[in-house]
Amino acid sequence: MSKTASDGWTFRVDNLVKHFGTVAANDGITLRVEPGEVYGLLGPNGAGKSTLVKQTIGLLKPASGRITLGSFDLVADPDAARQLCSYLPQAQMPIDSFRLREAIELSGRIRGAEMGQVRRRTAELIEALQLGEWSKTLGSRLSGGVKRLVGFCMATISPGHLVILDEPTNDVDPLRRRLLWDEIRALGAQGCSVLLVTHNVLEAEKAVDRLALIANGRLVAEGTPSSLKAADRTQMRLQVMLVPGVETPALPAWSGPPVRVGNNLVTTIAEADAPSGISWAAGLIDAGVAEEYALGAASLEDAYIRLTSDIPTDGLHGEQ
Amino acid sequence: MASSDAALILPPGGVERGIGRSGRDFVSMVRWHLASLRMWLVTIVIVQALSGVGFVLGISLFFHHIPQSAALFVTTGVPVINLLIVGLVLGPQLVANQRTAGSYEYLQTLPVSRSVTAAAWYTVCLLCGLPAVVVSLVVGQLRYDLPLHISLMIVPAVLLTSFAGTMLGYALAHAITRPMVTLLITQMLIFIVFGFAPILFPLQRMPAWLADVNWWFPFRHMAVVMRAALTSGPNPGVSTAYAVIGVWTVVAAALAGWMLGRRP
Repeated sequence: MSKTASDGWTFRVDNLVKHFGTVAANDGITLRVEPGEVYGLLGPNGAGKSTLVKQTIGLLKPASGRITLGSFDLVADPDAARQLCSYLPQAQMPIDSFRLREAIELSGRIRGAEMGQVRRRTAELIEALQLGEWSKTLGSRLSGGVKRLVGFCMATISPGHLVILDEPTNDVDPLRRRLLWDEIRALGAQGCSVLLVTHNVLEAEKAVDRLALIANGRLVAEGTPSSLKAADRTQMRLQVMLVPGVETPALPAWSGPPVRVGNNLVTTIAEADAPSGISWAAGLIDAGVAEEYALGAASLEDAYIRLTSDIPTDGLHGEQ
Repeated sequence: MASSDAALILPPGGVERGIGRSGRDFVSMVRWHLASLRMWLVTIVIVQALSGVGFVLGISLFFHHIPQSAALFVTTGVPVINLLIVGLVLGPQLVANQRTAGSYEYLQTLPVSRSVTAAAWYTVCLLCGLPAVVVSLVVGQLRYDLPLHISLMIVPAVLLTSFAGTMLGYALAHAITRPMVTLLITQMLIFIVFGFAPILFPLQRMPAWLADVNWWFPFRHMAVVMRAALTSGPNPGVSTAYAVIGVWTVVAAALAGWMLGRRP
């Protein structure tokens, strides 16, 4: 898509408020995604990400605030929202009775594209994501990862100006996950704005141009991955794999707030404390509390933990 | 490597509205519904046909001798049951399954107008119910040698009966968010349609108060218009029946449209 054709299709959310009873699911969110930009929406479970997406696509109505795409008011005109936005939901697509190729082609037709274009693009997507061996297989016989990729193809075969992808890489194998990220980047290059909802901070760091961190219905940080990591530049990440079943050991006073997911204990330390950190982690292994440790540069995930440290951490990490 | 630019389909230049888009969407949505029912379509049609045939032949098991008038009454009532069950009962149950599977919201975000989506679903329900109607009538005719006289009025009778039932089911399906509640209500509807609506038995067999209640609901009137289209001779109350079904059709379509367009 030429730059001119995608001009004017900026996605804007202005002071969006949505309540469920007394709970503010979205509490004054404002953000802006430019055409061609891959924009990550990160946050813990219940942060309000899905609520924002559902208001954008016309499934929920905001209490107040505006959502616009170009000159279209998506709140006032949900028909426009459905035509101008493509949506891959977190749940699997209903394709058990469809053959893989048929599901993609029919979605392209429903999205308004001509049959010839749809066939060519379907063939290209199937080849790009290496789905050819299942092209005539019924959805009920596909693995979860392949179904996820089919869902991606269905949502993006004839993309809207805004493409919303909710956890697109769930269940996808590492090889095809890389291919999928290539396709997501290609959507941006085509001029689409991509709104990427994910828990997977490490993947998001590599894939997005900018991201917003949402917690408790509010946008708590926004910027490029580098800018959000800037505060952690002098920090290092210390990761300790605990022996299954042991209690979380007491952390040294010079370490940052700890996060434990399963047997994986993560904290941040200052670069100057690296030798002390290595000694402490090695001591845990000697004491039979830990199996191994790793020390590396702080990542976006550490910024994420810092910014949401007052928020319950269950489920923050997603699949790695 | 990402796919090349050769086959890319560009985002739309704007929002497309109008009859051209609606016609294309209608065909696509009918294809979508038929494909999504692929594994069940034949089973649904066969079960519907068997249940219709079961009613038609079943009465001869109850009684040693069946008056032809009674056989005619049942046989001309069964098409209403065939058409109602698909749209009023099966439709909501399928939507309940979509909710359970988590696919309901995706289907609601497809870029197709609500009226086109509803029209496509109605068409599919009609296609699923029609074979059973034909089979039931043929079996009734063969078994009882009935004086059937099928007029052109069969077209509006079938279309309206199916439409009102489908839209009522559609409104119900989208109004109720809990799948289990949908299943319970559709079970209750089967109970009402079979036992407390004068479709397969004469109105005179009911207590007067229940007959009065039935006047306000469409089921009794559906049986009247169907019978009028399938038999010759006087059929009192046909005009009134069409009027009542017509009102229910408008109400059901409005309800379905409202429920589909609702955004909590």
